[in-house]
Amino acid sequence: MDTDKTEYVTNPTRPTLFMRTFLPYQAWRFAVINLKMIEIIRRSHKTETTDA
Amino acid sequence: MTRVVVLGAGIAGHTAAAFTRSWLGRGDTVTVISPRPDYNWVPSNIWVGVGLMKASKVTFPLAPVYERAGIEFVQASARELHPEGRDGDSTPYVTAEFGDGRRTGVRYDFLINATGPSLRFDKTPGLGPEDGHSLSVCLPDHAAQTAAALDEEVERMRRGERRKFLVGVGHGTCTCEGAAFEYIVNLEFELRNRGVRDKAEITWITNEYELGDFGMGGMHLKRAGYITPSSVFNASLFAERGIDWITRAHIHQVEPGRALYETLDGSRREQEFDFAMLLPPFSGVGLKAIDRAGADITERMFMPNAFMRVDADYTARPHEEWKAADWPRTYQSPDYGNVFAAGIAFAPPHAISVPRKSPNGTVIAPAPPRTGMPSAMIAKAVARSIVDMAGGAREPTHSASMAEMGAACVASAGANPFTGTAASMTVFPIVPDYDLYPPYGRDVKRTFGEIGLAGHWIKILLHHMFLHKARLRPGWRLIPE
Repeated sequence: MDTDKTEYVTNPTRPTLFMRTFLPYQAWRFAVINLKMIEIIRRSHKTETTDA
Repeated sequence: MTRVVVLGAGIAGHTAAAFTRSWLGRGDTVTVISPRPDYNWVPSNIWVGVGLMKASKVTFPLAPVYERAGIEFVQASARELHPEGRDGDSTPYVTAEFGDGRRTGVRYDFLINATGPSLRFDKTPGLGPEDGHSLSVCLPDHAAQTAAALDEEVERMRRGERRKFLVGVGHGTCTCEGAAFEYIVNLEFELRNRGVRDKAEITWITNEYELGDFGMGGMHLKRAGYITPSSVFNASLFAERGIDWITRAHIHQVEPGRALYETLDGSRREQEFDFAMLLPPFSGVGLKAIDRAGADITERMFMPNAFMRVDADYTARPHEEWKAADWPRTYQSPDYGNVFAAGIAFAPPHAISVPRKSPNGTVIAPAPPRTGMPSAMIAKAVARSIVDMAGGAREPTHSASMAEMGAACVASAGANPFTGTAASMTVFPIVPDYDLYPPYGRDVKRTFGEIGLAGHWIKILLHHMFLHKARLRPGWRLIPE
């Protein structure tokens, strides 16, 4: 792989990598992400009704 | 009695047919015309393509589902629209062709064109699994073929050979970069799982100007005190996994073992591969439109790329003058009030990403995505409008502009219940509105992304939920689009 590219990218730290698959934290994130997605779905469905 | 005809049984067509049937009266009819006998939950095809799922797990036969729901199913390809009927009979109808070449006319009061894309492998010589030298995951059988080819590569690597993998898009005007992105990170994960990652050189090739564009002009995410472009996260993800990348590329030819491409600076290069999964560009399916006198009015109803004109503003303007208001709201044909398009079949007014050309005049810019959640939401809004118009409303009653709706997307980055990950993203709105949300065009509070195991669990949940919904099983209406 081109080292020029890899030298200039953001790399995750070890704690970040660990948290990505740390079950208690991910269970919490599962709930949070679902809530964020439900909010987007709720707002998007609001656009359905027009005054016509 | 109202007759509604839906062309296509993908995410948009199937959603439109199911809701129309659900909301119309018993004396009304809903007919779906589609050339394929099966429904395909396309977002999970990437798992078929890395051998984690059988094609049968992402498809099911439509006929029994439609029979149970009271929807008539005609397995045929729609060929011609006759929106004014014929001489002596003004009832509009569609001409459909069966597999054996026979043709039939299906009359309608309302028509929903949800024919999806034509996969244009022919736009790049040598592209595609049928007549070319590359693989695809667009269709279940393509994905199964790709999985078999991957197995062969893994066997070679187990024998000690080094192999080159090339994944991305096979033309400068492709869309669906997100699907190819999911495939490459799943491929990398799978090669690690099979113990041969050290023998694989994996390269991403894309028409995006920067990584993470996805045909949406990228996203800006609020993280750790900064507003950061999605290119930073995408590059990090690739670098962490040892995936190299080529951006701003148009593949102009695929030969056995090498892809010839041009980049935005006009230079021509080539990339060798042993295994290439390259998505094709899309166009409309090529429906013809005929008026009552028999004259061809295709150019009036459809854009040159064969997608259907709807209530968008198609005035050609420079990128700086594009507005969110250019995007369609009701998806009604401007010429025929009882004809609508949903999902990929409608013609977008312009791209979302900045249009760019190489010094040679080659367009290298992603087309706008309109699959998944927006497809289904558009279809539901169209279904509601049609049902209301059948009940007496004079105009469409519901809208679903991509400049007013958001999208939630989960991109798998490795399928394992304990070690897998996925990038969970929300974007609001899909089409940036720079007047409403300066300077990024999107609400940064509602546009977010993170990678982790939770995303994989959500991806699994969505796979089962949406297949349950598509099978029209109890409670399907409660599952959002």
